[in-house]
This record gives sequence, structure tokens and C-alpha cells, in this order.
Amino acid sequence: MIAVEDIKVVFGRGTPLEKQALKRVSLTIEQGSFVTVIGSNGAGKSTLLGVLAGDVLPTEGKVTIGTRDVTRLATAGRAGMVARVFQDPLTGSCGALSIEENLALAARRGEKRGLASALGPSRRSVFRERIAELNLGLENRMKDRMDLLSGGQRQAVSLVMATLSGSDVLLLDEHTAALDPGMAEFIMKLTQKIVSERKLTTLMVTHSMRQALDYGHRTVMLHGGEIVLDVTGDSRKTLSVEDLIGMFRKMRGETLDDDALLIG
Amino acid sequence: MKKGSRLSVIAFWGAVELGLIYAFVALGVFLAFRVLDFPDLTVDGSFPLGAAVTAVLITAGLNAWAAAGIAMIAGAAAGIVTAILNVRFRILNLLASILTMIALFSVNLRVMGKPNVALINADTMLSPFFGHGLREFYVRPLFIGVLVIIALIAVWRFLESDAGLAMRATGANARMARAQGVDTSFQIYLGMALSNALVALGGALFAQTSGFADVTSGVGTIVVGLAAVIIGETLLGARGILIALIGCVLGSILYRIAIQLALSTDMLGLQASDLNLVTAVLVTVALILPRLRRGGAA
Repeated sequence: MIAVEDIKVVFGRGTPLEKQALKRVSLTIEQGSFVTVIGSNGAGKSTLLGVLAGDVLPTEGKVTIGTRDVTRLATAGRAGMVARVFQDPLTGSCGALSIEENLALAARRGEKRGLASALGPSRRSVFRERIAELNLGLENRMKDRMDLLSGGQRQAVSLVMATLSGSDVLLLDEHTAALDPGMAEFIMKLTQKIVSERKLTTLMVTHSMRQALDYGHRTVMLHGGEIVLDVTGDSRKTLSVEDLIGMFRKMRGETLDDDALLIG
Repeated sequence: MKKGSRLSVIAFWGAVELGLIYAFVALGVFLAFRVLDFPDLTVDGSFPLGAAVTAVLITAGLNAWAAAGIAMIAGAAAGIVTAILNVRFRILNLLASILTMIALFSVNLRVMGKPNVALINADTMLSPFFGHGLREFYVRPLFIGVLVIIALIAVWRFLESDAGLAMRATGANARMARAQGVDTSFQIYLGMALSNALVALGGALFAQTSGFADVTSGVGTIVVGLAAVIIGETLLGARGILIALIGCVLGSILYRIAIQLALSTDMLGLQASDLNLVTAVLVTVALILPRLRRGGAA
């Protein structure tokens, strides 16, 4: 379960550049539920994800993961409860380390790291098995540096990394946005498989309205730091991409009018 | 061969010995620069700090091994000061290390109470090994070589452990490291402490083999350490942690031999005071070489 209650995030408080990124957002995602989040640039999607991951500490409100209040806990402190895949394949994994070293790093997420060798024979074989499941042939390149891999391969490995330790919350930050269409589809299929197999509570931020409706159980639209749409079940099934685009237009129209007023 | 243009046996083993002492500096610099990506000039102060603490404690009658241990703790403390300035107070890493380095100059003078302390005829870590038939200029590099191998293995096993992996991730991609639950601030404290403890151990051994500690002996330590790291990388390439660490040690020894050769060749007309210039030229060449090679291949 993930819950944010009355979250308010203000950047640059007290300066001329003060910006309210989130205004009183509340959202509860039940155990094992898969929620997709859409919204235009500056709508607050990334901020919401940052609040859940711990990168952004909210100005007001409360964040709960599982049964634990994590509102004031920074990223590293709550990493044991939250797995994450970033938009930029270079951010989510360590280019200077090998594939197996990246996996070893993720396998100890949220646990104490001791002086035992990071890559014993038993761990190596587990990692090899998990990477072989991807069918990308990477199991024969376990000692290759991560930065020798393509963006899609890195995201695939990142997804495996996200499932190596026991957390059951998965945060996806436009994780297919930097990939070509074919690879994006492969990563989405893989995501779907992992989420349903492991019954992960998932929040996926996406730019693709197609993805937002095709995957998951529930879609949330953010605009101007507020939730403006929250659909699930049958009403979501009848919703088309065109409907969503229509809503986007309407939102943007409003801001355009505001701008026009300012200029006028 | 002309007289004087050849390296004498004693000078050669002297160079190897100095190279092995500075191998500790190279390993420390590798941890800071390469693993943590932290350009750390603290070493210019922590090397003479290690020497000063050791010399003062040995003259006061303390066991030489204990003195070297305390020197390492002092070095670690210096590294932690730099880390605090950088992590807690957000001072740019390079500047933070310069501040500590400058402060250490005064600290070292306080520790010794004067600019230098002699250790002639004192019992050092090496004393028990002298007088068993092997000549002293062989015993010294042999003894230090064993210590270097122990340090190299320890650093290697650490960097390949779960804890070491967290440190490597901190230097390579801090954002990712945090998302994997790594406390990156703690890693910087730990890494800087380990790095400067190794450098201080180098200083402690330097004081014991050369028979004195001098407040100015730290000048250019960082350049020598960096030279060793870069020479090692140029020679052995990037092939994993163990090779890189061996490269540091090898680079440090080769650097000293190269310097010794340059200074003992009459033809070049160099003298001891040209050491810093020769060092700068050597490091520059080592930095440019890989670039030229890549340029040639393209």
C-alpha cells in the first residue's frame, strides 16, 4: 500500500521563483494495484514520484508506504521498501560497474552491506538465471561494463534489479521514454510480467496516453499540481486516447487563456 | 658506459623502496580520485602528519607499530575533516581538501614542536630485521613490499565486497546509489578516512626509513600519488579492480626509478632541485599519452 495525504510541495519558498509543484494531493494505492499517471510538463508527475521515492520531502502532508510513515525519510532510508526505474537508462544503473556488480548492489538494497565478497558463486548463478529470463543474451556478458549496453538493455537489467530484494513497491518514471518504439514495447511487456508475477504495488508515470490506458488498473491525470482525473474499472475501459487528448487540450486551453489575460 | 650515467645498485633499490612507500599514497589516491571521484589534496598534509605523529611517538618511547597505527588514525581523522567540510557544509571537494591541507601544516608543526624531528638510532618497525645477514638496502624494500602486498589485498577484497561496491557506486553514480539504499554521505566519510589512513601509513614508513620527519615532506604528495595511478593505468589499462591496484603499486615504483634515472644521467644535466619539474613533465606525459594513442587510432 502507498498513500499520500494532503501533500503540498513548494519549491524555492520565499523567493521570487517560488513554485507550488503539488497542491494538496491525496492518493491511495492499494496493495498489488498498478496505477498509471499522466499529465503535461510541469503538472507535478515527477514531483509526486519524487515524494514517494524520497528525493523530494513534502512541505506539508503525510506519506505512508506499507504501514510505515516515511514522510521525513530520505531516499536511501526508504530504498528497502521502494524499487525504482528511472527515465534515463544512465541514471538507474552504474555504467562503470559490470552487469553482475549492478545486480549485487541491488540485491542488498535496504540491507546492511558487509565485507563478504559481493559476488560469490551462489549469487552469481542466481543473477545469471534472472538475466537469462530476459532472453537478450546478456547472461553471457555478466562481466561486461553496464555502459556497453544499449538503453533498452540497461532498462531491462534495471527492471531485474528492481525485483532482486524484497520490496513490493515499484516506481516507474517514464522508463520507456528514452527508447525506440520496439524496445519500449518489449520493456512494457516485461514490466507487465514482473508486476503481475510479483504482485507489486506500482506507480508508473508516462508520457504515452496509450500506455496509460493499456496498462494497470487505474489512471490518474495531474494538472497544475492537482489530480484532475482519477478513473478505474468500467469508466476507464470506455475511455479512449482521444478522450484523454481532448481533456489535455481543454486544460492547455485554460492556461493559454490565462496567459492571454496576462499579456492583454 | 660513462661513469655516473649508470644507476648504482644502492640507488636502484633506494628508488624501489621509495616507490613502495609511496605505493600507500597511490592506493589512497586511487580510493579518493578513482573510486569516490573526489579530488583530494588533503594527502599533502596527511603524509607529513603520519610522519610527524610516528616520529614524535617513537622518540617518546612508544612501540613503532603502535606509533604507525596511531598515525593512521590521525590520517583518517584528517580525511574525515575534509569529508565533513564537503558533505555537511557543501564546500567544493577540491577546496575543502585544500583547507584541510593548509590547516595540517600548522597542526604538523604543533605535533612536532619544531619543523623536523630526527629518528636516528631509534627502534623502528624495521629494526628487528636488520643485522641478519641481508644488507639494509635490501631489507627495507623487502619489508615495505610485504606491507604493500597486505594493503593491496585488503583494499582489493574491500572493493569487491558488498560494502566496497556501495562505495564504488557512490563515486560513479550517487543518485543510483541512494536509490539502492546506499548512504552516500557515509561512504564519502569512510572513503576519505581509509584513503588518508593509507597515506599517513606511507608517511609513517617514510619517517622510519629515512630517519626523520619533516614538515615540508608533504609538498607534491598528491602529484606523486596521481602520477603512480596514471602510470599504472597507462601501462595496464582498465581491466578490473585488482589490475588497477597492482597498477598503482607498479606505477609508483616505476615513477621513482624513472626519476632516479633522469637525475643520475649526467647527460641531461639535471640536479635534485629539478625534481618537481621532472615530476610535472612525467605526469603530463602520462596524461597525454593515452589521448595521443586514441587520437592515432581514430
